[in-house]
Amino acid sequence: MLTIEDVKKQLKDKYQSDIRNFEHPYGTRLFVDVDRSRIRDISNDIIRMGGRYLVSVGYDNIARDKTLGLVHTFSLDAEDMFICLRTSAPVDNPEFDSITPDIPNAGWSEREYIDLLGMKFTGHPKPKRLILADDWPEGLYPLRKEVPWNMMPPAAENVAYQLDDAPEGCTTIPIGPFHPTLHEPEHFAVYVDGETIKGCDYRGFMVHRGLEKLCQTQLTYNEVPFIAERICGICGSVHATSYSQALELAAGITISRRAEYIRTIMLEIERIHSHLLWLGVAGHLIGFDTVFMQAWRVRERIMWFGEKLTGNRKTYGMIVAGGVRRDISPELADELLAVLKTIEKELVTIHKAIAGDGSIHRRTKGVGCITTEETKLWSLVGPVARARGVDIDTRRDHPYAAYDDMTFDVPVVDSCDVWGTVVVRILETFEAIKIIRQAVEKMPAGPIMTEFSEEIEPLRHSISAVEAPRGEVVHYLITGEENRPERWRVRAPTYPNLQGVPAMLLNNQFADFPIIVGSIDPCFSCTDRVMKVDVRSGTAVRVSGSDLEKISRAKKFAGR
Amino acid sequence: MWLTSKLKQVLMVIKPGVVTLKYPFEPRPVPKDFRGQPSWDHHKCVGCGGCAAHCPARTILIRDVCQDLRIMLYDGSRCTYCGRCADVCPEGAITMTEQFELATNDRNDITVNMELFMLTCQRCGRCYNMETTNMIDKMGLRGFRYDNLEVRAVIQKATEHFDEKLLEESDRYKRPQK
Ligand code: SF4
Ligand code: SF4
Repeated sequence: MLTIEDVKKQLKDKYQSDIRNFEHPYGTRLFVDVDRSRIRDISNDIIRMGGRYLVSVGYDNIARDKTLGLVHTFSLDAEDMFICLRTSAPVDNPEFDSITPDIPNAGWSEREYIDLLGMKFTGHPKPKRLILADDWPEGLYPLRKEVPWNMMPPAAENVAYQLDDAPEGCTTIPIGPFHPTLHEPEHFAVYVDGETIKGCDYRGFMVHRGLEKLCQTQLTYNEVPFIAERICGICGSVHATSYSQALELAAGITISRRAEYIRTIMLEIERIHSHLLWLGVAGHLIGFDTVFMQAWRVRERIMWFGEKLTGNRKTYGMIVAGGVRRDISPELADELLAVLKTIEKELVTIHKAIAGDGSIHRRTKGVGCITTEETKLWSLVGPVARARGVDIDTRRDHPYAAYDDMTFDVPVVDSCDVWGTVVVRILETFEAIKIIRQAVEKMPAGPIMTEFSEEIEPLRHSISAVEAPRGEVVHYLITGEENRPERWRVRAPTYPNLQGVPAMLLNNQFADFPIIVGSIDPCFSCTDRVMKVDVRSGTAVRVSGSDLEKISRAKKFAGR
Repeated sequence: MWLTSKLKQVLMVIKPGVVTLKYPFEPRPVPKDFRGQPSWDHHKCVGCGGCAAHCPARTILIRDVCQDLRIMLYDGSRCTYCGRCADVCPEGAITMTEQFELATNDRNDITVNMELFMLTCQRCGRCYNMETTNMIDKMGLRGFRYDNLEVRAVIQKATEHFDEKLLEESDRYKRPQK
């Protein structure tokens, strides 16, 4: 077991004056200021110590010292430790060594800051545009403070993303931006040789809404949880909790235990309905609609309960910095237990009915295989990783809210395929039910909101992770001067998992594409968050509803 | 194996039967504390601007057209029904109603306009004291406000004394373009 002191000593001994400063203000988080020339070596050393790459954070510090800041964050799961390597570069020469060649998952984070902050990464294998719209003007870096949050540059014509070249002898099949089996806009170019997938390129970020910038310039601390919640339509509380925890950490507030218990219950309610939703969608993707209908029928119970408890069936709006907004009364707690009982019973029925069904086995077993090593290399998270033998779960490894009081298992299987994901997610639903029961039983009395009367000091860094149904969510926060964050970086679980999809697709059948992509439970909009986008490229032609109807009728009958 | 599992599936489907609700042909009552469309009681509202300052969607706008007249506008087309406005209102002037069937093609249908005659506070001209010690809920903009109601834009500027120039300037508000 490494301790923070061990890590400090090892780094200091090896890099001496290239390590500028250590800071560990909140127990398990270690911030290290390092020289920019050694960032790649030190990152590799952290990985060697058992670190898992999380995300990178770039920020504009021009007004203070004419630099752009960069933070690479890592988690040491076995030691319950977060390590954040901070460095910076002068704005007139913002060059960093890319860590992507060793840590492939950093690829998107680095591309993001090429786009948004104008950083440069030497040695990056694919420094293409990632986030900004194709017609966004070159040299305009929207995350820099000089750019107003609501700027809308004029649209340009004849610009398009250049897809990667297809491998020798392969045909390109475009999927998206709108596709019936993937419910959010994204574009995959899949390179196939016959029916076999040989590679793919991804162009997403089409619903990139600029909310990090919005929150950094317009909103105040306690409005951000509501925006955070809207990052995802399925696991909203997860983002609100993660943000609130990061803020509470930075401000040095301990919230009441009851509020932590209620947060735990909300997170697990979300897990139950998200897993049931995914089970249905997965069934639907392989054409097994009975599962879809039944899983969603069962799920409806918990949605109604959520509506009763919070006032809305989804996007609960329960969690704010300092606690939660509504209390759980004893009557509601009883009702929750009753709902859980039905769900558990029904889920057992569904499980029994589909576990023996050959079609589900044939469509998911041996599909989307990658090895445990590859999963670790790509830093995949959540059920996707746990289905491939990687034993990580933030709830257990970095306990937050009331999880330190709960006993639960973390199901891990090593079948390394989509079937494993199905198994993990069904088992996790039962675990979630178990956790809620414990939480309801042990919940202490107390206030639900904790007020803090002191102003939050600016420029404090903090990081918080929460296990969402589809994987781990990471929020990095730098506090600001105007009662709002100076920088707030969100990493949704699809962000790392989507980067692993090309590896999962390789050498699979094209027909399995939907279920493989579906198996990570992709949430494209979560991934796309940050900054603003003007999607109106080219000239817009208004087509009225009746025009559309005419066109589609004409198309439909043309073939007859 | 295959057959038993199919039989189980048939049972699983038959047992609950049809569960689809007849909505919208039959009304669907909402639970007690539902967060529907917010509604303002203009008798209670003191025009403190707290709701506007804490609305995450920035859909409550305030415009002081002169020393004594404050216009408040709630544009429901962007409302997220989070209920934060009702939480923070010190006068209890806002209730979250049960109304949720709000789809419309004219946003005026779900817009509320209030004209409030304001007394001048001796201290600051306009006052807002939420009586909370919570620093995190500190209000960003205090005093006279000049939001542009036409284009529904929040103007991030507030003044201690009424400023006619700012009022005029806010009329010409436009989104920046390069
Ligand atoms: S319900 Fe929420 S979004 Fe709607 S007006 Fe109130 S605070 Fe704003
Ligand atoms: S918070 Fe209440 S009293 Fe203040 S302006 Fe809004 S509705 Fe009126």
